[in-house]
Amino acid sequence: MMYPTKLPKGGVDPPSVITVPPGSTILNAPLPPRALIPLLQHAGSPARCLVKPGDPVTEGMLIGRAEGARSAHVHSSIPGVVTHVGPCTLPSGETCDAVTIELGGSFQTSGKPAVRRPWEGMSRRDLLERIRSAGVVGLGGESQPTHLKLAPEGRAVSLLAANGLDCEPSISVDAALLRQRPSEIVEGLRICQVVLSPGRTVLAIGDQSEDLAAAFEGLIANAGMKADVRVLPSRYPGGHEQLVASAIAGRPPSPDPSVVVINVATLHAVFEAVVLEKPLIERVISVSGFPLARPQNLKVRLGVRIGDLLEECGGSATDTRKVLVGGPMRGLSVDSLDLPVTKSTCGILALGAAEARTAKELPCIRCGACIEACPWDLVPTRLFKLVRMGDTDAAFREGLGRCTECGCCSYACPSRIPLSSILGRGKHANGREGHG
Amino acid sequence: MSGAQTSPALHPQSAPHLRVGMSTRRMTWLAVASLVPALGFGLALFGIPGLVVVGVSIGSALLAELATTLPFRRFTLADGSALLTGLIVGLLLPAGAPVYVPAAASAFGILVIKQSFGGLGRNWMNPAMGGVLFATVSWPGPASWSIPPLGGAAGPAAPPLEALRSAVSAAGPHGATPLAALDKAGYAFSSLDASAIDWINAHLLAPVGLAFNHGALDVLVGHVPGAIGASAPLLVLGAAYLLRRRVIRWQLPVIYLASFAVLSLAAGGLASGGGWLAGGPGFHLLSGNIVLAAFYAASDPVTSPLTRTGRWVLGISLGALTFLMRYFGSWGDGAAAAIVLGNCLTPLLDQWTSHRPGAAPKGAA
Repeated sequence: MMYPTKLPKGGVDPPSVITVPPGSTILNAPLPPRALIPLLQHAGSPARCLVKPGDPVTEGMLIGRAEGARSAHVHSSIPGVVTHVGPCTLPSGETCDAVTIELGGSFQTSGKPAVRRPWEGMSRRDLLERIRSAGVVGLGGESQPTHLKLAPEGRAVSLLAANGLDCEPSISVDAALLRQRPSEIVEGLRICQVVLSPGRTVLAIGDQSEDLAAAFEGLIANAGMKADVRVLPSRYPGGHEQLVASAIAGRPPSPDPSVVVINVATLHAVFEAVVLEKPLIERVISVSGFPLARPQNLKVRLGVRIGDLLEECGGSATDTRKVLVGGPMRGLSVDSLDLPVTKSTCGILALGAAEARTAKELPCIRCGACIEACPWDLVPTRLFKLVRMGDTDAAFREGLGRCTECGCCSYACPSRIPLSSILGRGKHANGREGHG
Repeated sequence: MSGAQTSPALHPQSAPHLRVGMSTRRMTWLAVASLVPALGFGLALFGIPGLVVVGVSIGSALLAELATTLPFRRFTLADGSALLTGLIVGLLLPAGAPVYVPAAASAFGILVIKQSFGGLGRNWMNPAMGGVLFATVSWPGPASWSIPPLGGAAGPAAPPLEALRSAVSAAGPHGATPLAALDKAGYAFSSLDASAIDWINAHLLAPVGLAFNHGALDVLVGHVPGAIGASAPLLVLGAAYLLRRRVIRWQLPVIYLASFAVLSLAAGGLASGGGWLAGGPGFHLLSGNIVLAAFYAASDPVTSPLTRTGRWVLGISLGALTFLMRYFGSWGDGAAAAIVLGNCLTPLLDQWTSHRPGAAPKGAA
């Protein structure tokens, strides 16, 4: 059951990317003296603030209540006192209110052994409630509230896939968790399986985790579950939900509402939410890049300042030209190191002068590199010309709606045309958008 | 990273933040560099006249590019594309051509074929091939004036291909291979070739009952009157480097040459009265400009189909067109005209072979 499957086509291998080895121990970052906790850390509407300046908070206390159909709870990641509630800008450019907490007081949970709470025999509804009250959202970057993803509203789920492939070349969060927290992940998967009762359950791992396949098959058998382990190519963007699902099903990539893909970092959070009843207040992120002396995978409290993490990893201010939240292919470059780590932050990448250099755009020479790089079987060179001419209707007829802005075409273009951003702009123009 | 923490010169920018190493500019300059061996050999053979032709064609290309970009306050010479066009034009022409031939060929290629359609990437025809075809049609005589190469035979300097054409029309159907026909017509190759071939025949091939015709060596290395860039081995060497660096794709040039070779072998004999399977594919691949045309003009991505199917169809078409014009046409080696005609097919091939949304998987937006 473990034949490496090829991507249908496309993808890129940025050769110069620094990836933290998945085997290197996930270290706990020091507690931040101050946490800036945005109330919008998920896809959907912001949580409603429950605290005001001067309020004491405890670790894991609910400070933002989910509001609206799509939202998620937000908890305090450190104990202390609320000093400020006000607008903050997220790496994506969105603004929302954020709670600033100064560290202080005592810890209730950290340092004490975790207590397992029984969950076998709990109803589907109660399991979902534990996940919802812990504020779990997708940790692979897409940050959908997990309790919504696990409640497909009457639709039959044909496939539940645990996605162990990281979302970006510089990130090894999922690979590291597979290596270092295997039983928690399998238990998280078992919880999701109980909630969804899918037709089939598959744990997909990247080819750099191939040596773990047998161990996972053993863990799955010990847990008395029925699930397959599949090794998939980790070549970017192999970790994309649609590509994982299509590689398992052996068909071209396309959105499929009967497939639920949950990445393993999220399964780990589901485990903590259900088995330890611990809210989502910390996560693992990859901090990497050439300007850093010690690239590493860190377990960090949400709300920590990204500048502090770069410093923790030996970042050099003189060598750093660009700081990305995310990875090199889809990451958002930030203009301030004061931004906080949120639930959707998978990694921080520092780029030096040579990598951050921007090249002049030249005309398209029709070399076809973008066509070969596109995993979605599109012809980016035609689509970008149509979008630039303003004929988005024609571009949609030629498949623009399937574009996921993975960036492979822009990466491959020798003329340095920002194909991916142009296609993205065309796709989001006039409000019509295909499936994400 | 303390102190001035928000001050490092951070440049917000859209993703992706890394790009592949190869760039359009580097591709062009690598193509120029890969032609240097063939250029050096050509200049060694044809001396100052060769240098004049190449110099004038490059100069004319650069001037034409400057004249069409500077008024718009753009400077495009750094992309190397005008230089490459001028260089290829020079290599395609014979060293005896009067200076107005390379000047007009390059200027036509840059001004009419490339810049009038919008410059780099917008031309629908290969500028070098179109320019040379323009000059050849305008001045059929001067554009083919050849001089003998260094160490070549004295006397009238006709390229072997032209000599073969006149020999065939003079002798009528003779049924011989190209080199044998040339031998019979008294075409003189270099003395170096004669002694080398004689030695090889006497010492290496006689025991196995084989013999090379005189001229085999001259034709192979391009030591013959004719185009300056006629050394097939050095051109292939340069092209191999480009293929290795993934600057060009193998499909178009290789399929083009292969289909031409197969047609030459199978039906080439019909033109000389030799019947089926009696053509001279080796001689014809090595004569004229077909190798240069295949690796440096047919492979130009700007004028090639985007799809693999399209490249196969065009490659085979180019071989067939060159074959027809070479064997049954009245002048030229056929390569330039075939490339120009083939370029016209490219948009149609893209239209026919590119996949449409009908091919989209079910459930896609």
